[in-house]
Amino acid sequence: MADATLTSSPNARTARRRRTERLNRLTPYLFLGPAAVIMAIALLYPLGYMVWGSFRDWDPSQTIGEAEFVGLKNYITLWGDPNFRESLGVTLRFAFFVVTFEMVIGVGLALLLDRNIRGMSMLRTMFILPMMIAPVVVGLMWRYMYHPTVGTFNRTLESLGLPSVDWLGQHALMSVIIADIWQWTPFIFILALAALQSLPRSALEAARIDGATAWQQIWYIKLPLMMPVLIVTGLLRLIDAFKVLEVILVMTEGGPGLSTEILALRISRTATEFRELGVAAAMSNYLLLLLLALTLGMFAFTRWQEARAAKVRMAAEEDS
Amino acid sequence: MDQSYDRQNPAFYAVIALLVFMSVGPVLLMFVNSFKLDVDIIGGTTGLIFLPTIQNYETALCDVLWYEPDHLDFCSLKFGGAFINSLIIALVSTALTLVIGCMAAYALVRFRFMGRDTVSLTTLMVRMVPPAVLLVPVFGLWNNEFCLDRDGLIGGAIRDTFGGRGDVCLAGTHTGIILVYVAMNLPFVIWILQSFIVQVPRSLEEAARVDGAGPFQVFFLVVLPLIKPGLAAAAIFTFRIAWNEYLLASALSDRNTKTVPILIVNNMSEFNVEWGVIMATGMLLAIPPIIFTLFASRQIITGMTAGAVKG
Amino acid sequence: MLKILKNTALSLSAAALMASTALAGGHGGPYDEYAGTTLIVNFPAHPHYDAVMKILPEFTKETGIEVEVDQLPYLKMRERQTLELAQDEGEYDLIAYVVFSKADYVYADQLENLAKYFMNPKLADPSYDADDLIDGYVYNIGFAGGGKGYLEGKTGSLFGIPYGSETSILGYRTDIFEKHGLEVPETYDEMLEIACKIPELEPGMGGVASRAASGHHASHAFLLHLAPLGGRVFDDAWNPIVNNEAGVAAANALKTIVDCGPEGATNFGFGEALGAFLNGDTAMFLDTTVVAGQINDPSKSQVVGKVDWALHPMGTRRGSQTGGFGIGIPSNAENKEAAFLLMQWLTSKKGDKLVALAGGNPSRFSTHADADVNAKFPHMATFGEALKHADPDWRPIIPVWGKINADLGTTLSKVLTEDLDIQEALDGVAERTKAVMEEAGYYTWQ
Repeated sequence: MADATLTSSPNARTARRRRTERLNRLTPYLFLGPAAVIMAIALLYPLGYMVWGSFRDWDPSQTIGEAEFVGLKNYITLWGDPNFRESLGVTLRFAFFVVTFEMVIGVGLALLLDRNIRGMSMLRTMFILPMMIAPVVVGLMWRYMYHPTVGTFNRTLESLGLPSVDWLGQHALMSVIIADIWQWTPFIFILALAALQSLPRSALEAARIDGATAWQQIWYIKLPLMMPVLIVTGLLRLIDAFKVLEVILVMTEGGPGLSTEILALRISRTATEFRELGVAAAMSNYLLLLLLALTLGMFAFTRWQEARAAKVRMAAEEDS
Repeated sequence: MDQSYDRQNPAFYAVIALLVFMSVGPVLLMFVNSFKLDVDIIGGTTGLIFLPTIQNYETALCDVLWYEPDHLDFCSLKFGGAFINSLIIALVSTALTLVIGCMAAYALVRFRFMGRDTVSLTTLMVRMVPPAVLLVPVFGLWNNEFCLDRDGLIGGAIRDTFGGRGDVCLAGTHTGIILVYVAMNLPFVIWILQSFIVQVPRSLEEAARVDGAGPFQVFFLVVLPLIKPGLAAAAIFTFRIAWNEYLLASALSDRNTKTVPILIVNNMSEFNVEWGVIMATGMLLAIPPIIFTLFASRQIITGMTAGAVKG
Repeated sequence: MLKILKNTALSLSAAALMASTALAGGHGGPYDEYAGTTLIVNFPAHPHYDAVMKILPEFTKETGIEVEVDQLPYLKMRERQTLELAQDEGEYDLIAYVVFSKADYVYADQLENLAKYFMNPKLADPSYDADDLIDGYVYNIGFAGGGKGYLEGKTGSLFGIPYGSETSILGYRTDIFEKHGLEVPETYDEMLEIACKIPELEPGMGGVASRAASGHHASHAFLLHLAPLGGRVFDDAWNPIVNNEAGVAAANALKTIVDCGPEGATNFGFGEALGAFLNGDTAMFLDTTVVAGQINDPSKSQVVGKVDWALHPMGTRRGSQTGGFGIGIPSNAENKEAAFLLMQWLTSKKGDKLVALAGGNPSRFSTHADADVNAKFPHMATFGEALKHADPDWRPIIPVWGKINADLGTTLSKVLTEDLDIQEALDGVAERTKAVMEEAGYYTWQ
């Protein structure tokens, strides 16, 4: 390549440079192009299509053009539909309990296990396992364990002489939440542990020298310093909690009644079982709006955090 | 890491043992049950005293076995075929996502193409879209809109070569499912890789450019090798999602492109729940993720922290 | 070019097959023209169709027509069919459909009218003996356009043939009944009384295993009691009457059964209910006849040889369910004639007997009376008796039924788990049903 440049005439060289420059200017577009095209075709266009479809009375055997335009009817019907509201309530309850318990347990475990012990990496490996396994498989494992007569839990209770519990019947939502906690607490645990281990040692040393007890260290030093990471982690989990579907589908199919029918599941049932694509699309839009609010909140929060951290850093620099 | 370990209270080790038991126990239980006959699973012979049998695995894998298991009258579970579909879909979509995502991440970091804020905002917004929301539009588009006319040039050629009937649509093809997975995973991959590319020293690239390398050469020969850990992490996460996903695949696949999760859910048919076989198929589906966990847990953790903390 | 090659290859192999059938003793039979064709059929994952899988090789051997089966759970199967049947050209040559899909498919003109096949002398087998098919099922599953649009009637015609017909039947544990000197229940009152006595007599054992889980499970269980207790979902003018006295009685019966049932009964689907009975957790089982094949399979059942069968108990009338599947040819199928031949073969006297011996549910009177079948499955006679009381109108088969069914199922599940007042709950169902029917145009003529 270098040889070629040397031997070519000056004229050709400028032409070549111009070409390279043009290529350089085009490069970002070339690099971004495939990603942009795919996202546009398979993500943005479908989302637009969905908004369009949500104004129609749309049956799966019709194309969207054949479906009748009904304006806001789907949205209004949904708003007045007690089943939709109940499902929304279930979703919010599920997300709230799941995130709360997982945060408390995950962070608690991280604080407990943040020690220099043999086999820590092995331990972390074991903890990741539940997260990596397919939700479908997680669902069937728990469905088996919760089985009223055959299941592991009731058998254990029985052999201990305790009354058995109607896991997926009367306590379905709780059981589903427990399964999710099993699967996703490790996520919080690992992130919290990483945050803990990257805390400035000096602050902790100083606290120890000042004679702070372990509790005081946790409460006044570790937790506040970890807070930004924890909040982002929690919000990520929250967004993910709205995506859960397969585990519940396999475990309860949303029952009994609507007690575990989260919105994602209701959308899929409305589309496939009740054959009302328009209503399902409107429901998807409600869910998206909810999540949009959450995401924007999260984004604003991180921005605010960064700004504050920058200010603190500036102040620290001025001091020194 | 220093090699001296702190001594701990025995109660502490008990807690750890309990935690490990809790997180691995259900998986072990499934593993053990997959070697039991249904009668043993239902009948209450708890504990480990039972006659292990590979009958469940034979039932699951009957379409790829070289012999015909005695206990089967016909092969109803086409697990082998589904496994191959899952492999094709997961591998191809992972490879595509990585290449495309890598290039995009590089462009975003190096060329200051858009403000970082805009990018992270879009990435986040796209990341929040639940698969269930995509169900309706993807179902409609893939089945009715993204089609080639059967009488058209390309559509006709496809029909002549591969057979099949009707217009050539994305639904029911591997390509259709792969396309959705790539789109779903791209934001996350771009996001993770960005944080790795930022750390590649600019001077290295400049040196390469001085030596006369074009932008593509710089990217493939200089940048890519340096962000291998990031690539590994991103690859595992993409693979995991493509491998495990059920909802969209079930809406888009037909009988020839079924993936393993669909097969498992279908097999939990209401007429007889064959726990043994279901557990065996579940175990087979879980093998690749388990292997990843055991051999690449460090990359997974790197990916998780990079993906979350900086998100 | 490729096409030509393929066609030649096809006709070559067809010729080879023809030759082989000819050698096997045939002489230009009805199947020759179609030998070598591959039919793609869509069947449910269901015990009857598992039995069908066992006899299909026999069909291929006899006719040279290959059959590729796509077996799906039946809700999935319906989703798939919704999609496939709507295309211009579909993949399936023959489909099995659930009774209530009949309304949708026929209404959308997606199933072939069978008249033209039975009129075609090259296709129709003169020894088919259609009169031997059980009347109730033919009208329930195959007929459309008659009374109320879905029942027997002069304006109707045939779109499918029942295959895998089921009715409801009461299974009971002979050992338990003998031990406590219990009489096999003849009426609903007797059954409910015994159902609640069992948990006292045999601690840990439930009375009746029944479906009850949210959705179509609960709704099915309710409708199962509604007909014998004298109720209907609609009156003759399509007004919902599900909330009348009989409706409340049926819901009460379901609640009693679940309350006196085995542990976790509120979340039982069909599989769990059957599992409980197979596992010996309940003394009775009131549901479809399809289970009979599994009761005496020692790899699945703990109650081998301890079960006997009786008719669905009587309320104010006899009325067991009519359910199961029918098979029909989609309008957009590729090989309709060959599909008809398969359909005819499966439902012929010979095919029906073969499938019955393989553990399926026969759809012919003659098969129920057949000596070989009865020798292998002694319960077949009782089942044949039960069929006489099968009620084709135990649930409405109209296009909007899916929506009403889902609502009914969810509401009943709430009654069972959340102690909703029954009358109030059913009033709600009736009200919502009325709105659905109004929207669908059922009150246009009033």
